[in-house]
Amino acid sequence: MSLAELLTALEDWPISAAMRGETPGTEWLFPIVETLHVMALTIVVGTIAMVDLRLLGIASRDSSVSRLSNEVLPWTWTAWGVAAVCGTLLFLAKAATYTGNLQFLLKFACMGLAALNMLIFHFGAYRRVARWDLSEPPMSAKVAGALSLSLWIGVVFFGRWVGFTT
Amino acid sequence: MFRPFADWLADTPLSRTLQDHAWVVPTSQSIHILAVSIVFGSACMINLRLLGVGLSGRSVSQLSNSLVPWMWRGLVVLLATGVIQTVTEPVRQFVTPMFWAKMMMIVVVATMTALYAKAVRRNAPVWDAAASRPWRAKAFAVLSTLLWLAIIVCGRFIGYTWSFYA
Repeated sequence: MSLAELLTALEDWPISAAMRGETPGTEWLFPIVETLHVMALTIVVGTIAMVDLRLLGIASRDSSVSRLSNEVLPWTWTAWGVAAVCGTLLFLAKAATYTGNLQFLLKFACMGLAALNMLIFHFGAYRRVARWDLSEPPMSAKVAGALSLSLWIGVVFFGRWVGFTT
Repeated sequence: MFRPFADWLADTPLSRTLQDHAWVVPTSQSIHILAVSIVFGSACMINLRLLGVGLSGRSVSQLSNSLVPWMWRGLVVLLATGVIQTVTEPVRQFVTPMFWAKMMMIVVVATMTALYAKAVRRNAPVWDAAASRPWRAKAFAVLSTLLWLAIIVCGRFIGYTWSFYA
């Protein structure tokens, strides 16, 4: 099965038709799921920004980095789960269109790079967090924070542009 | 009632100039969503703390004093980008009740937040200790979360409902 066939098959699913509002009673499904996606993504981006700004020394300087991360990131992941489920449903509505959309691909490129950045930070500078938890984070942690912030801004920008280009 | 004003505004040189640049609205909306992330993300973290569900590393007053200023900064960005979007597409905004409901709820939740922040600043020890924290802390947490969620719903649904009224 080629990618094009797979995408067409996905679009033929009943849930995909419902997401397009083609099934009676589902006319408002897409806007509702999209609104839930927006609510969840604002929690994701807002909480990640809290940690990133702490790494950059701009906000929450009265909290240690590890404590702030431990408190905030479970909510980030929960919200990310909601955003991912809603995002998958939105994708199903027009799977082939989105897959061929530049902004959509750039959004996921940004998210992939953000994940990579997070892994490098987690297994790099963050392993020695005890040494700088309450003081100024090292340059590698600041770079990770700046990259994360930039990439998530990219995710939001390209995500919003998907709606204007499909 | 607002339709003649909207039509007039849409015909002003400033609005026409903004309309001529297709990137203005998507760019402004992207910045708007980033600011929502800061404001709503901060509000949720404060409210979870008030409800006793996590974020216990810092006291209520520490967390509020750290995050509320970011909410005001975010709100300024929301107002600025909101004005850009309204000047560019005044009819879309003014004809739908979603827009007016959103504006009213923003006034209410901003006032509530200002009063809350003032109360915490004035009497931090009382708000920090769970035993002496006023009952309205939890009422504020629940009500302001619901208001922000409703504001996001109305914001997203402006785009889905305005054509019914235009």
